[in-house]
Amino acid sequence: MAREYMDGATAIVRGAIDAGCTFFAGYPITPATPILLHMVRELPKVGGVALEAEDEIAAISMCIGATLAGARAMTATSGPGISLFSENIGLAIMAEIPLVIVDAQRLGPATGGATTGAQGDIQFLRWGTSGGYPVIVLAPASVAECYTLTLRAFDLAERFRVPVFLATDKDMVMNMATVDTEALKRVPVRERRLAATPPPQYRDPRWRPEETFLPWAFEPIDAVPPMAHFGGPHIVRVTTSTHDEHGFLTKDPAKVQRLNEHLWRKIMDHREETEFAHYDPQEGADVLFLAYGTPARAMREAVRQARAAGHRVSALTLHTLWPVPEGILSFALRGVRRVVVGELNFGQYTREVERIAYREAARHGVPAAEVIGVYRVDGLPLHPEAFLKAIT
Amino acid sequence: MAVATKPKVTPKIYKPEFPIDWCPGCGDFGIVNAIHQALARLNIPRHQVAVVGGIGCSGKAQYHVSTYGVHTLHGRPVPYATGIRLANPHLHVIVVSGDGDSMAIGAGHFVNAGRRNVNFTYLMFNNEVYGLTKGQAGPTLPLGLQTKSLPEPNMNAAVNPLMLALASGYTWIGRGYSYNIRHLVNLIVQAIEHPGSAFLDILQPCPTYNDLHTKEWFAGEDIGHGRLYDLQEEGYDPVIPQDADEDTVRAKLLRFIEKAQEWGDRIPIGVFLVNKNIDMYEERINRRVGNYFETPPAVRPLADENGITLTDLSPIFDEYLMT
Ligand SMILES: Cc1ncc(C[n+]2csc(CCOP(=O)(O)OP(=O)(O)O)c2C)c(N)n1
Ligand code: SF4
Ligand SMILES: [Mg+2]
Repeated sequence: MAREYMDGATAIVRGAIDAGCTFFAGYPITPATPILLHMVRELPKVGGVALEAEDEIAAISMCIGATLAGARAMTATSGPGISLFSENIGLAIMAEIPLVIVDAQRLGPATGGATTGAQGDIQFLRWGTSGGYPVIVLAPASVAECYTLTLRAFDLAERFRVPVFLATDKDMVMNMATVDTEALKRVPVRERRLAATPPPQYRDPRWRPEETFLPWAFEPIDAVPPMAHFGGPHIVRVTTSTHDEHGFLTKDPAKVQRLNEHLWRKIMDHREETEFAHYDPQEGADVLFLAYGTPARAMREAVRQARAAGHRVSALTLHTLWPVPEGILSFALRGVRRVVVGELNFGQYTREVERIAYREAARHGVPAAEVIGVYRVDGLPLHPEAFLKAIT
Repeated sequence: MAVATKPKVTPKIYKPEFPIDWCPGCGDFGIVNAIHQALARLNIPRHQVAVVGGIGCSGKAQYHVSTYGVHTLHGRPVPYATGIRLANPHLHVIVVSGDGDSMAIGAGHFVNAGRRNVNFTYLMFNNEVYGLTKGQAGPTLPLGLQTKSLPEPNMNAAVNPLMLALASGYTWIGRGYSYNIRHLVNLIVQAIEHPGSAFLDILQPCPTYNDLHTKEWFAGEDIGHGRLYDLQEEGYDPVIPQDADEDTVRAKLLRFIEKAQEWGDRIPIGVFLVNKNIDMYEERINRRVGNYFETPPAVRPLADENGITLTDLSPIFDEYLMT
């Protein structure tokens, strides 16, 4: 057993480097700064480039540019920086850019509580850019999971060519924990799917290939097209605008509809590939504790105490927040009378759980589980008693 | 691997078949034409060039160069160009951006790019207006002027792009004119060849919204002589040599400032500055990374056939090991 004492930021950096991250750009902001510092220090040692950009808009723009040229990129920030990312998140969705974005959440709104943890960005991450198109959001609940879910984030980013967020918070990235590094769960590095290499005459500058390769063609509609890096054999055009299969701006309603449906369906038709959670069921339990991120630790302690006191409770730690892991949720909600959701916000995810609970109840013709949210928004962590009070 | 001799290309090779929606007589045509000719003169294969555009009439120029192209966001082409170039330092990266894109919404990126000196070519299409959004005052429109879309004279003073480029640290600074294509091609060639951030301010008449600084105005029809003159024809030497002493640098900068202030009846175009005293950012990275140019982020092998990372992290994280 190799035991190491590290914080979540270190685990994230380590996961990113193991996932093949070769480019990082960020702008200092508490509590995401340690990730920037570690990256600037460590990435060059493995041949990558990490830099401090002039602001968050530049940071994410640089990451997208680097990805177009063939790098695997990550950036990290907190709520104020996510606000500045907004337009570029949209571009990354539109141009199908694989990208990992870490949000070390702090108390909002605005500058809020710069040094205090929170989970106020959970809906913001999902709906943080115009258009309402899906992104993927993962949430680690321990330092070890910071490592594994960073690998997972890179994997899903490549699989779906979409920005993937790692929703952490101040306590998750800054608090230290002992980690058994040999027991860490790894996710194999997914090769980037690239367009096939054309005949060698592409090196002849006079060669004008017939349109053998359409960089933005997808067949069927939910298929993820292969990438073609800048400097490689295919000339590709990338655009912020609604585009045709060549990457040219289009207003043709049929093409516009097909592109937008593609951006939706390439993820939503395959959402089972994005669902991750840790489920701890108890035989005969009709109470479910549910949490993600830092409150999951309090939840686990609450489960221990509840069971010791003779209560029957199951527990669900969500690792995927978006798309809502409906498969896992409906499974865990079966036979449950009461769900207790613990969050560091005013119930942003409680409403998603409620939505699934009602839908499942209607589907099975049974009364819906009562969904109770326990919240804390003073910058301090949720305590186990918050969960326990809801069942006694 | 055998190195084949490079066949010569013609400018036509860089022309894609994409419908152009610029207004007739727009200065942007001349600039795109000059880009094609400059690339042909340098004989650069299409797949080694990336043109990065902002938003505006100007940003659409990347659709009309048949190389890699990105249409980014309003004000953001510079950080995209930076990311592309740093991931693959073998690419020629060209930014096409308007005065609004560069000096208003993107001004922060403009300044900070100068501090880095990444090797790219920055072409600013300077028409003093927001062309695409129908002629509002751009950041380079002088105080008190009233172009035809403005309800009132301009209440803001103009930023001087050459002075801002100098203050920011651009190591090659020039000014061209979109209807003097032969001259413009020469400038773009030099800007592309310069190892560092090269900024070219291109005076670009917008016949639709800028009725003050028109083609006729630059031709000096009102004063009886052309307003534009070539700095180099007057013997202006823009070069700061590699190990110039302080006095030489100061003298050069003072000359630059003098020339950059000229406007009105005599407007200089040409190369204002070539600073060989500052290395490009890529060299600075290479000193940290070692083999950066051989294995930049874009081409670094990541994992073996089983998906296991090739990176050995143990030396990095030794400090966290508990014994
Ligand atoms: C964030 C954002 N704000 C505003 C706009 C609207 N907009 C499009 S182009 C433009 C100004 C373009 O002016 P300039 O950069 O000078 O380019 P030109 O059209 O003159 O070539 C504006 C304000 C936008 N696209 N994005
Ligand atoms: S509005 Fe002006 S800059 Fe835009 S295309 Fe027309 S003439 Fe050119
Ligand atoms: Mg303009």
